[in-house]
Amino acid sequence: MNRIETVNRTELLRAEGAAAVPQLGRRILSRVALALAVTAALGGPLLLAGDYQLRFLAEILIIGTAVLSLDLLVGFGGLVSLGHAALFGGAAYAAAITAQYWGADLIVMLAVGIATGVVLALVLGVVVMRTISLFFLILSLIVGQMLWEVVFHWREVTGGADGLRGFPPLTLHAGVATVVLNSGPTLYVAAAAVAGLALLAAHCFVDAPIGRALVGSRERALRMSALGYSIPAIRLMALVASGAIAGAAGALYPFVNQYVGPNAVHWTMSAMMIIMLVIGGVGSLYGAFVGAAIYLSIQTYLSSYTDRWQLLVGLIFVMTVLVMPQGVVAGVRSLLGRRPAGGGGVS
Amino acid sequence: MGFYLIQTLNALSFSVLLLLTGLGLSLVLSLMNFVNLTHGSFVLLGAYVGAWWFGSGLPWWLAFPAAFAAAGLAGLLLERFPFRQFYARTHLMQVLLTYGLSVVFADLMRWGFGAQIMSPEMPELLRGVIFLMDMPFPIYRLFIIGFGLALAAGLWFAVDRTIWGAVVRACVVDRGFVETLGLDTRRIFTAVLVISAGLGGLSGALGAGILSAYPGLDEEVLILALIVVVVGGLGTFRGTVASALLLGFAMTFAKVWVPEFSNFVALGVMAALLVMLPSGLVAQKTRQV
Repeated sequence: MNRIETVNRTELLRAEGAAAVPQLGRRILSRVALALAVTAALGGPLLLAGDYQLRFLAEILIIGTAVLSLDLLVGFGGLVSLGHAALFGGAAYAAAITAQYWGADLIVMLAVGIATGVVLALVLGVVVMRTISLFFLILSLIVGQMLWEVVFHWREVTGGADGLRGFPPLTLHAGVATVVLNSGPTLYVAAAAVAGLALLAAHCFVDAPIGRALVGSRERALRMSALGYSIPAIRLMALVASGAIAGAAGALYPFVNQYVGPNAVHWTMSAMMIIMLVIGGVGSLYGAFVGAAIYLSIQTYLSSYTDRWQLLVGLIFVMTVLVMPQGVVAGVRSLLGRRPAGGGGVS
Repeated sequence: MGFYLIQTLNALSFSVLLLLTGLGLSLVLSLMNFVNLTHGSFVLLGAYVGAWWFGSGLPWWLAFPAAFAAAGLAGLLLERFPFRQFYARTHLMQVLLTYGLSVVFADLMRWGFGAQIMSPEMPELLRGVIFLMDMPFPIYRLFIIGFGLALAAGLWFAVDRTIWGAVVRACVVDRGFVETLGLDTRRIFTAVLVISAGLGGLSGALGAGILSAYPGLDEEVLILALIVVVVGGLGTFRGTVASALLLGFAMTFAKVWVPEFSNFVALGVMAALLVMLPSGLVAQKTRQV
């Protein structure tokens, strides 16, 4: 009995190994192709696009990064937060307010943004961690709206309904030289760098044991706690990581449009991020950028032709939920006959 | 003294509106376990129908049945497609689908009814005020309180004390068993959704008299209704009533005492409650498997 099993297993291993060699080659090739494609996709606009388009692309990358951070919660933790805009918008306000007093050094801005995102995530986490599903959704919504109330009514600091504008330009001190990041191309490069680092960080988080534990807490919370994992601690860590990434994105946000308003904190912004996430694909990390690109393109380009762009976004969103619940990225993949991306989170 | 009586009545009328909206949502959420975020759209539709009806010169009291019917019809159509396919799906998918639909409806209604605020011309009978302890109080708000409480009591009786209510509750616990008894559970669910949507439309029409109808009302109402239902605890009539009263009173009196941060305080009260009682004021006992 034992021997048969051993033989079977070795044969199985050998068969797997034989299949793995071309697969490995193909995987390396596809990785290289992907890297080339990404480089071309990111570098192309720098040569081809104008200042306005590059600012727009920077905005896509920044919002996409925020959506990516939401994906950590929704796609991997099963935690649908309607208060995510509070982390993003809160960091944006913190960066904008700091910039008015101390100038807008990129590194300082990122540090302020990340710190704000982490602190807000901790506050949100402490409030929210005891509940799950619908209760988490509502509680994160309430906490986010409380921050919105503060932003909206604290006129002296946040500008109230008018928001803040007119900050110093974003600068980067590289050794002795100082680069001013106020044109489309420079903002685009900065946003791309932050987005790339965020994607890397999210990848590391998801592949690390904590990321696996997070997926476990989504799938079988009771079994995970029976195994000795602390579910609230896992979720809090995910929330903090997500807050840090959202904060980094938020720190750049005011400088792209030279404006930040209370809408960046409002729950409808959170809902918009969820729409982008679903269109791009829940559980697919770079799907977040695809979703942000689709949504913002419709918003920007279609709104100049018709007032009914919200109708169209809504219809696309509903169709995505009905037809491609895994999102556009996975939908296209399955059309090309490849298995859908890992993660997931919707069924 | 008179001032506080008036404020209490104000809070009560607001609570009743919250209660009606919340109960409509709670029917579907608690009984059918379906998160219906288009409920705000039903309310807005009812508000538009009500506002239009009040201004049209037709018998004013028919506005409420009309709003109920309009929202109920919308609910019926939506139940056929696509809600029915999503009853068995996860909460996340239901949230996504219904939120997307509410975005579509919000834009359709902005298209159809215009983007300006519709404040209806109220009928003679409801426009007056009565004096309570030398303070004027609008009759319409008293009408809302009376009408709403009667409706809520009727609903409680129907769900809790009649055979139809028992059938609906049984459908949720064990759908297959109810089917075996020869009842068509799909029709029962359809009926519940239509009633829920109709209630949303009705409360919209009632509220149109004091809140008027405007784009964005759907989202505001939806959020408040969700907070009411969730803070109250899923599946409990008492909880929904209690949390509607709490939120109504918190919002009204916060506006009196701390006008600048009224919403902040009211939201804070609800958040604190939800943190202390993570499954709502009146929690159903559930077993984890």
